Amino acid sequence: MSSRTFSRLFGLLVASLPLAWGTAYGQASQVVQCEKCHGNRDFITGRSGGPQDTSLYVPAAILQDTRHSGLRCADCHRGYEAGYPHRVATKVVPCQTCHEREGRDWEASIHAANAAAQGDAPSCVRCHGSHVVYGTGDRRSPTHPLNVAALCGNCHADPRIIGTYFATPGKAQARTAVAQYFKTVHGNALTRDGLVVSATCNDCHGAHKVLPADSAESTVNRRNIPATCGACHVGVAEVYERSAHGLAYRTGRKNNEGHEAPVCVDCHTAHGIVRADQPQWLLGVVAECGSCHKHLYETYFETYHGKVTRLGFTLAAMCSDCHTAHDMRPASDARSSVFPANRVATCARCHPAANENFARYRPHGDPRDRARYPVLFWTWLFMTLLLAGVMLFFGTHTLLWLTRIVIDRVRGAAAQPPGTGP
Amino acid sequence: MTPQTLDAASRGEQPYLWRFTPLQRTLHALVIVSFLGLVITGLPLRFAYAPWARVLVRALGGLAAAGVIHRLCAIITFGYFTAHVGSLIYRVARGTSWKRILWGPDSMVPQGKDVRDLIGMFKWFLGRGPRPRFERYSYMEKFDYLAVFWGVAIIGFSGLLLWFPEFFSRFLPGWVFNVATIIHGDEALLAMSFIFTIHFFNVHLRPEKFPIDLVIFTGRATTDYLKDEHPLEYERRREAGALAGLAAPPVSRLAYVWSVALGFASLGLGIFVIVLVLWAVLH
Repeated sequence: MSSRTFSRLFGLLVASLPLAWGTAYGQASQVVQCEKCHGNRDFITGRSGGPQDTSLYVPAAILQDTRHSGLRCADCHRGYEAGYPHRVATKVVPCQTCHEREGRDWEASIHAANAAAQGDAPSCVRCHGSHVVYGTGDRRSPTHPLNVAALCGNCHADPRIIGTYFATPGKAQARTAVAQYFKTVHGNALTRDGLVVSATCNDCHGAHKVLPADSAESTVNRRNIPATCGACHVGVAEVYERSAHGLAYRTGRKNNEGHEAPVCVDCHTAHGIVRADQPQWLLGVVAECGSCHKHLYETYFETYHGKVTRLGFTLAAMCSDCHTAHDMRPASDARSSVFPANRVATCARCHPAANENFARYRPHGDPRDRARYPVLFWTWLFMTLLLAGVMLFFGTHTLLWLTRIVIDRVRGAAAQPPGTGP
Repeated sequence: MTPQTLDAASRGEQPYLWRFTPLQRTLHALVIVSFLGLVITGLPLRFAYAPWARVLVRALGGLAAAGVIHRLCAIITFGYFTAHVGSLIYRVARGTSWKRILWGPDSMVPQGKDVRDLIGMFKWFLGRGPRPRFERYSYMEKFDYLAVFWGVAIIGFSGLLLWFPEFFSRFLPGWVFNVATIIHGDEALLAMSFIFTIHFFNVHLRPEKFPIDLVIFTGRATTDYLKDEHPLEYERRREAGALAGLAAPPVSRLAYVWSVALGFASLGLGIFVIVLVLWAVLH
């Protein structure tokens, strides 16, 4: 049990003690009273017999084994114990009477705002149930980690909800989020491997204070992403913070192409996250790097490494093989994997016999860049002119030859009387 | 209809005359097979961005398999190169003088006559002179030969650099691999562009030769062929009384079928490669 869960449980226990003690005697008699009517299976409210009729069958045993097993009906249905017919305005005591923090968080969420405005966003009972409320650690609870994605999916995979709330292009990602999640490394870990430590919806979006990504307070807002992912990926978050990306993220610095620093989801995506050792990921992330480092991306494909990658094979070095996955730093940084003094070790990861000479290979050598790579430029120019020269000369030779043959044949045929041909 | 109806070297008056030795024919067959193997496995890397590149490399069995085929063909290339140089040395050892090999009528070395022939051909193209008459090897054949010689040396050495970078980096700086990548790819592109268009036209596809000239496979050509294509050699041999000694039997049906199969497969593959290159360049 995590310390957080423990403190929650403990707080709940303490909070419920006065209730339990204070009503220990009254409870028995009160339950019996409610049971008189609500223990009847056929207890239906309303008189029309129409669909609005609601079953009021709520046996006392319904709370047994739930988190609320110590509570009396009247603890939530306050005032109802005074007798029948019930004469109360407030139907149910709000959950936040006891669950203060959760209540406050929910009040601040997009769910609360939409519940007030549209009435179709979830309140407490929609996710936790009304009478049968289990703790999140209970496998039977809809809020157990193995059940959360399905719970959220009840609404977030519903075309009606998607059409109402996620119709704008800016919300496109949310339209497929649930379906995509089940295919990701996080979703697979939960559904296939049964790992409850894997991230599910609430781990990134929060359980109660769910807010859209464009809200500054949202856990999935760009500014908060490293902290959100870092809550589980502690080791990666540490490295990222020290890296050029982490530094630029903190200072707001942009790269020489005007792009701001990437956060986790820029490379890993939000709902399409796959294992980092899958070819699909390894090959795809090169394009991610390239979306901000355009020139390096283009020149990489001039090299053998890049060509192999472009053909869809992971045999040759990709960005992270030389620059590391999270600890990338400029070549001027002595701690960088591509700092001159560290290059031999970096090359040697794939080329064990690499030496100083070997590390003088130019992995982004650009033959079009005369200033930086004069040797490559002149080699390329010579080879191109040689190719063009030879083909132009002999192309002319061939075309003239063909023309001469055609002319001679036409003339020969014209000079010969019909019917005497060869 | 003679059985050799597709063969430009079977035209007209027989008998056949021997033109190429079994060694020369074997080496040329090895050149064809290894060169096509190198081209088809190297092409996806050279044009990795082309829409067909991934399809081709998968058809070859993946990148690793393509790499193995490429290196096997490289070994064949070094093999025929060595065998050819060895045969020249052997000829010298057997008493043929260097002078005759370099400057004799059968020489592959460009000479003053080749420059005059080249100019003469352009004059003829433009209707300003007679068609030049060639010796055993015209300037085109000398160019083909020397291009292969130069190509094998350049592409072969740059290929070795890229094959064993760790070894060569013991005494060469790493940027030579960048240079080698450019040279290897571009020289190969020149070789395939030249062979699959110019060489194909000069040797097989021009109207007098169409659709194929099998002399390099069968080793023999008719007297008429020799009179048309290499009149000076024909006259030199006739005056020396050597024609009877060169007389060859007609090619067997089996050898003919094999020659046609290899010839057309190579022509087809080469033209296919040119289509792929144009597709990639124009894409």
